[in-house]
Amino acid sequence: MESDSWRAVTRHDHCSVPMKRIETEILVIGGGATGAGVAWDAALRGFRTVLVEKRDLTHGTTGRYHGLLHSGGRYVVKDPNSASECIQENHILRRTHPHCIEDTGGFFVVMPEDESDYPDRFAVACRDLGIPCAEIPVAEALSREPLLNPRISRVFEVPDAAADSFLATHATAQAAQQAGAQVLTYHEVTSLHVSGGAGDRTVTGASVLNTVSAEEIQIVADLVINAAGAWAAQIAAQAGVEMTMILGKGVMLATNCRLVNTVINRCKMPSDGDILVPIHTVSVIGTTDEHVLDPENLHIETWEVDLMLEEGDKLVPGLSGSRILRAWAGVRPLYQEKCRARLSPLGHSRDIPRSLVLLDHQERDGLSGFLTITGGKWTTFRLMAESAVDRACVQLGVSRPCRTGDTPVPGSEQGHYWLGHRLQEVEDEHLQNELVCECELVTYAMLERAVRHNPTVTLDDLRRDVRLGMGPCQGGFCTYRAVGILHELRAEGSTSEKPVAREEHDIGGYLSQLSPAIDPQVSVSQPSLLLRDFLQERWKGVMPILWGQQLRQERLDELIYLSILNADHLPADDGESPLSAFYRQHAP
Amino acid sequence: MIDLLIIGAGLTGLFAAYRAAQAGLQVRVIAKGIGATHWHAGTVDVLGYLPGKEAAVGNWELAIPELPAAHPYQLLGVEAIQTALDAFQQLTADAGLPYERAGAPGQNHLLPSPLGVGRPVYLVPVGQRAGDLTLELPAPAGFQHRRATQVERPLVIVGLSGIRDFYPALIAENLQKQGYRVRSAMLPCSLLTKWQGHSPLQLARLLDVPAEQERFAEAVASIAVADERLGLPAVLGLHNHSRLMARLQEASGNRSIFEIPTLPPSVPGIRLYEALRARLYRLGVRIEVGMEVCGVYTEGRRIQWLETETSSRPLHHRAAKYLLASGGILGGGMRGDHSGRMTETVFDLPLTVPQDRSQWLRPLFLDSRGHPVFQGGVAVNARFQPLDASAAPVYENLWAAGAILSHTDPIRERSREGVAIATSYAAIQQLNNCSPQGV
Repeated sequence: MESDSWRAVTRHDHCSVPMKRIETEILVIGGGATGAGVAWDAALRGFRTVLVEKRDLTHGTTGRYHGLLHSGGRYVVKDPNSASECIQENHILRRTHPHCIEDTGGFFVVMPEDESDYPDRFAVACRDLGIPCAEIPVAEALSREPLLNPRISRVFEVPDAAADSFLATHATAQAAQQAGAQVLTYHEVTSLHVSGGAGDRTVTGASVLNTVSAEEIQIVADLVINAAGAWAAQIAAQAGVEMTMILGKGVMLATNCRLVNTVINRCKMPSDGDILVPIHTVSVIGTTDEHVLDPENLHIETWEVDLMLEEGDKLVPGLSGSRILRAWAGVRPLYQEKCRARLSPLGHSRDIPRSLVLLDHQERDGLSGFLTITGGKWTTFRLMAESAVDRACVQLGVSRPCRTGDTPVPGSEQGHYWLGHRLQEVEDEHLQNELVCECELVTYAMLERAVRHNPTVTLDDLRRDVRLGMGPCQGGFCTYRAVGILHELRAEGSTSEKPVAREEHDIGGYLSQLSPAIDPQVSVSQPSLLLRDFLQERWKGVMPILWGQQLRQERLDELIYLSILNADHLPADDGESPLSAFYRQHAP
Repeated sequence: MIDLLIIGAGLTGLFAAYRAAQAGLQVRVIAKGIGATHWHAGTVDVLGYLPGKEAAVGNWELAIPELPAAHPYQLLGVEAIQTALDAFQQLTADAGLPYERAGAPGQNHLLPSPLGVGRPVYLVPVGQRAGDLTLELPAPAGFQHRRATQVERPLVIVGLSGIRDFYPALIAENLQKQGYRVRSAMLPCSLLTKWQGHSPLQLARLLDVPAEQERFAEAVASIAVADERLGLPAVLGLHNHSRLMARLQEASGNRSIFEIPTLPPSVPGIRLYEALRARLYRLGVRIEVGMEVCGVYTEGRRIQWLETETSSRPLHHRAAKYLLASGGILGGGMRGDHSGRMTETVFDLPLTVPQDRSQWLRPLFLDSRGHPVFQGGVAVNARFQPLDASAAPVYENLWAAGAILSHTDPIRERSREGVAIATSYAAIQQLNNCSPQGV
């Protein structure tokens, strides 16, 4: 029975599953920052709202970026519209999502090779756009960031910050749920419903598939907002709308400690490897910008890793010799109306504007009830949501003002994040012996809480919730422990606790069946599968950067999972999870 | 000047030191740190899987011919390996921590892993032996050798609530899926300590205390059902292990009680290290840890001395002969950088690792063929002397053994201890046979 439900992920029997139906006003497609923001905004304005995401929240680009809360400085010369959006949102998110933001501040540093009139243009443009920017003495910058390249000639300080996009998106989604929205992860859109004839067509909803239970649901909606990011064109195509996303792949590397405590940017036109972001326990060097066609299968090339190291050495000499924990790639969902498919597949996509794009398909394609919100930055997700829901109000013929700008999300009472937060909690509460993941200070209680409150289909879902497996051993110790703990929790029947505030519009009893966060039939029924999936998921991210101490660490992980646990000879009973194939993808 | 300097204090270095001391050589061990004994399960894995094959090896003597021709085992042959393992067994018996075979020479045990999968291992400490899954039906192909003579007894896996590194229900469930008769049970951790989440090593130290042993033995006895074999996490005492085992057997009516290894640090691994070290101490061998080699002085093809930096001053170590037992990538004997260059860390010997990072790894972590980067190492001749590009010994007074050797992936093959013991035995034999002036 259990294994059947897994196999059904790829091939299910339409006849055997009774069809569920949900009616709503607004259906949001996409569980990244933008989609969660749209659901939050719409729910706050009193719309009945449903969000569907084909995997976990933040599985796409939101969970694969460097974690910069832009001051706007980066785009101030090249893309002033985007810069201006950034500084406006920077101020707002510090009030609505403070606990997701570490107030690191940011430097723009001038390297000897970057000398030009750019720094002066930069300073003037910041002033014009209202971005606080102060030139500080190089000596002061070096005393605050001693590892910074001493050859820098000028330093400008701006209000950049580090942002936890996993936490922020969860908090936003939670705020949306508290306002009555319904969030369905692991629900993939299989088709959009379009009614009417030529010239008068309307999107009326969507069919979605629960990729875990293989259940199909019909969602009837007054309006559908496509916030699928890099997957937006694929969604639009289901309504017969042609749009070409320009997908810009960016590669990032995480170092095993914080080389800097301030965001460091090169003061020049945005380019490869010119930004270093301190976030949680690591620093992230990024990024590249390569035009790709497929948002799913992002291969990291050796040259991309080498380029990041080479450029990183310019910011922090010796960075290439530090221990690199992981490499990953995210894909920017860029869009330019006049640029349809003209870009060469392997060219740079740096010149596409970063400002947000709202497509009203009624105006653009004669298709009502359907909006696409794309482009933008993580920093501007709230603004993107606002403009999408503003337009939704117009289409639905109502006038309801946006409230997200002054509504703090749950958790905001904690104030700004600071690095010592977890350690202090562990020390104050004497939790040293309860750590499941020593690298990231994840306690048993944190894991249990995450499992009870969020659907856990893979251990990667827990990684996004609590940073499990993100430290130097990359899951070496905690993968086994987490599997054991989830297995125990299942045995205890941990489905008793109800998730928050979902009573608002429980349609047709659907939610009462869905709501227990652990569904023992689908989430932890396959401990071997959880284990193998997560080992392979971690491997995918370490493969490009295995040398030196990290290669040695990986050999210890092999010793643990092969010699001691014999995980490669677990009984082969399990089929696949919805993500097994994704974790195995590699070929360019 | 001493006769032999061994670099590395893992199983390879320690067993080599033991053999050398027995042969009457004046020997010293220097090492950067203790070896990988502290990480492994404390068993002697000789050959558990052949490259690219899924089935466990039942009898390694029969499997050795299927290994690649350049594999260290092929340089040695079955008989030499068996002789070395016999010597190791003798050593463990002398050291008070006896290791045993399953039965016929070459026949592997199948011991439950902490995930509930059978681990094919050859020699096991007495404390792990009763877990052998080949004592229970259905035994996989290659393991049916003594069915008729054994009494089949089901298993009970017993955990301590709150320890992070042992999950009895998971072990039992996975074993059940493979057809074994097994159940799980849990003892409260409060039995031993008010704290939750102790590491296995902390628990083992607690269980060295006689009063704790008494309390623990009574609790374990309360779980038992008559004919069951009883598996516990490997925390049953560090220095007072055999006393606790005897006490447990006694309290529970002479039941077969066994340990299942845990994540590192490994209590059975540390016991083995301690036993070897104590034995070497009595043989007068000095083990000096904290000595990273930072310089090598040679004349022609002869090593004159090694330099280490310790206590803020350089020390010179002079010996007639040198044995490299520094381990593989895990032990620190080899290190790769991001340009794809892999270096042997003591003598900068040539290595067989691909000098191109993109060739190091395969796309799947659990690929049964293993990853090429972990299969390379120092190439040696039949006398276990490291070779240069022209296949001549790099130094006339240098030998190498253990995980640093090429053409073996000891973790993937489950041959870690077998390779360590057999090659160090052979290297000592070879270097002892040649004159002090070298070959």
